Amino acid sequence: MKGQKRSFWARARKDWIRNRSLYFLMLPPILFYILFHYKPMYGVIIAFKDYSPTVGIAKSPWVGLEHFKRFFSSVYFGRLVRNTFLLNVYNLLFGFPAPIILALLLNEVRSRRFKNAVQTITYMPHFISLVVITGIVKDFCVSTGIFNDVVALFGGERTNLLMNPGLYRSLYVGSGIWSGIGWGSIIYLAALAGVDSQLYEAASIDGAGKWKQLIHVTLPSISPTIITMLILRIGQLMSLGYEKTLLLYNSAVYETADIISTYTYRMGLGNQEWSYSAAVGLFNSAINIVLLLAANRISRKYTETSLW
Amino acid sequence: MTDNLFLGMRRVKMKSKRLTALALTAAIVATMTGCGGKTDTTQTTAAATTAATTAAATTAAQAETGSQAPETTAADDGFSYPMEPGDKLTIWWPLDTVIAARFSNYGDSHLAKNWQAQTGVELEFQHPPVEQQSAQFNLIMADGDYPDMMFYNWLGFKGGPETAIKDGVILELNDIFEQYCPNIMKFLAEHPDIDRMIKTDDGRYYCFPWFPNVGGEGYEILEHTWGPMIRKDWLDELGLDIPVTIDDWTEVLTAFKEKKGVKAPWTIWWTGTSAKRYDPFLCAYGQILQQYVGTDGKIHLYYGEDGYRDYLALYHQWYEEGLLDVDFASVSREDINYKILNGETGSTSMWSGVDMGNWYSMNTDPNFELVATPWPVVHEGDTPEFGAATVAYTGQNCVAITTACKDVERAARMLDWCYGEEGHLAMNFGIEGESYEMVDGYPKFTDLIVNNPEGLTIAEALCDYSLGTTSGPLVVDPRLFEQYYTIDAQKEAAAIWKNNGAVHVKPPYTMTAEENSEFSKLNGEMSTYVKEMTMKFILGTESLDNWDTYVENLKAMGLERAIELNQIAYERYLNR
Repeated sequence: MKGQKRSFWARARKDWIRNRSLYFLMLPPILFYILFHYKPMYGVIIAFKDYSPTVGIAKSPWVGLEHFKRFFSSVYFGRLVRNTFLLNVYNLLFGFPAPIILALLLNEVRSRRFKNAVQTITYMPHFISLVVITGIVKDFCVSTGIFNDVVALFGGERTNLLMNPGLYRSLYVGSGIWSGIGWGSIIYLAALAGVDSQLYEAASIDGAGKWKQLIHVTLPSISPTIITMLILRIGQLMSLGYEKTLLLYNSAVYETADIISTYTYRMGLGNQEWSYSAAVGLFNSAINIVLLLAANRISRKYTETSLW
Repeated sequence: MTDNLFLGMRRVKMKSKRLTALALTAAIVATMTGCGGKTDTTQTTAAATTAATTAAATTAAQAETGSQAPETTAADDGFSYPMEPGDKLTIWWPLDTVIAARFSNYGDSHLAKNWQAQTGVELEFQHPPVEQQSAQFNLIMADGDYPDMMFYNWLGFKGGPETAIKDGVILELNDIFEQYCPNIMKFLAEHPDIDRMIKTDDGRYYCFPWFPNVGGEGYEILEHTWGPMIRKDWLDELGLDIPVTIDDWTEVLTAFKEKKGVKAPWTIWWTGTSAKRYDPFLCAYGQILQQYVGTDGKIHLYYGEDGYRDYLALYHQWYEEGLLDVDFASVSREDINYKILNGETGSTSMWSGVDMGNWYSMNTDPNFELVATPWPVVHEGDTPEFGAATVAYTGQNCVAITTACKDVERAARMLDWCYGEEGHLAMNFGIEGESYEMVDGYPKFTDLIVNNPEGLTIAEALCDYSLGTTSGPLVVDPRLFEQYYTIDAQKEAAAIWKNNGAVHVKPPYTMTAEENSEFSKLNGEMSTYVKEMTMKFILGTESLDNWDTYVENLKAMGLERAIELNQIAYERYLNR
């Protein structure tokens, strides 16, 4: 035992001497994670306490699982989980393939100029602040907005689209695709650029048309990228940012729009119930990690690609 | 198919893998940094409360009997301003939006410089980003590194000002008032009713308040600053009278809709807390969107009140008929400006100061004429019982001295100066000879304010010299508003808007920490439900026939207990 240990330290020292510069390079990211991702975890403890800012985290009284019980018995519990889940699933279902399709289409475009133009135009919304993006969406959706102009053209009645709970999810997901599609396609375009052109030649000699080439050469070539991206995406499944919802929703569409993170926000910052909202947020994270583990496992089982 | 997929995958060359990995890393890094950026730009939904907003939200409390006037014992012999130089003091001060548009640091203003020169105290202003006040405030609380003074709504502190004192955040001011503050003591001795408002239940003073309307003779102009207004030129064109009852309104709005083709005959700033709170048609049915003192002298909450049902029924009818703005739920202050200036709206409810003034100066329609209308009533001949009214003190915007204060005496004396004769003029009118001249004992603004050479509006020019139209530690002087209103329609508004609302608005009572926590738990659930059902009832997705079920649900959520908690706190207030 002892000998083994010494040899480990000996090896570690040797490694340190040899790769010192690499260790130094690693230092900033490690510090970043410690400071901004691990240290704040201490604050999660307030989910089990009755936190008051003036008393401090350490001195606030311990209440155990009370806040969790309150959330689980809340009338909104079921609806919040359902809304969060559905919005995420739709976002994944429609939002995930969209950039892949755009990348595949762009890949087939022969005119460089046209391709560049399309790329630039589709990237653009990514660089606009979310606040502005939602502002644009809101302006489009009001009764005098462009969507209603189209509706009115076909004889429909002008209504505020953002006040219709049935349309909320489509608007949310649709605007997400619009603002993110160009940026999301970069990575797939990079992957596509790396596909060996000999494969296409071989396929076309074997008699494969464009469609067959797409199915048998292109997609398999970029599938590791797709799957890695998919796993990363699933890991964020329940963690939709509250910002966009907060900027888009109103009380008329709470029924479909209110998600766990906006509820946390309203309770925490609006009602100053820090501990309760920390508990709700922690619950959200717990679901996240379960989903991530499950996705990774499924992926490893069926595709030989996984995060770890 | 799957076999093929994996065959193909393995055949992919190393080169492509490396490229992909690189792109992946880049994307991940980008996403990470992207997230960081997003958080910064995120805005809170907290309504943009300008001081004007607070003015309308300002609640009323009547001069009731029973409170004892403090004795004027604060006599400082041999003391005079300015004080000897000493430590620089810090003051945390959320900027009003009008001020923030001109100053990034209010210490650069003429008012602040004058204040420091006159009192001899060097000040350092600390401003949280506009609209992030409460988040920043909470950060300071959690951090424990308090500035010397903090300008905040201390009544909104969780558990009330008592808790803030008990937790060691701010100082109890009773002794300090007595020792160093002759001006405020004199003021409180003259106004025993106000004295009760600014104390805690156990009789402790906690701040130097902002008094937007101390009431009494000559102060009428300050009482009603917000209310309904309508396009007078359209009324004249259609041969209609100014609407008084709700039936009149329906008729007028229908005419606007049918004969003028107006898209949104009636609109209201629904996303602004205080505008929604005093919706004129809600007031017509005897409700306010917060706790209020009913005609029976008890605390009420609108959630399940019959008046609220009637209001929802009216709005539902108007929504169906296209009289109510179809976008009402998302209407922002900018939207209102746009709709009024472009003739998309014929009537709304706003401030006679900022809004009416801006609309008159910005519109391009030569016939444009907007007038205030009386608060609507249900029956002909009724006098408006409910409505927006400004009162002396609501707890909003007052300066407390924190436990971290380096020099309590200097801080207290500096704040007390604002309530003295000299300070009163300086806080309301600025610097004599610069922003105002004394003409027969009347402080008259110079052209620098009313006719600014650089083309600033009155509100913009004023904020450099006066805190009267925004907020601060001062008693607002009606003579300021007499000159602030320049258009006839603005000057007339206060009289037209006369209502008895001041009696009904809840006085600044405070709940204990336990009561507060119980109330906010109950209310947290209920308020979401009420907001949602309100929308459903108005849009018609839920029939008002289900009103009783709705009320039953609220009762199951603890409505009665929530009101009772308020009643208990209110009774404690009355017994002060």
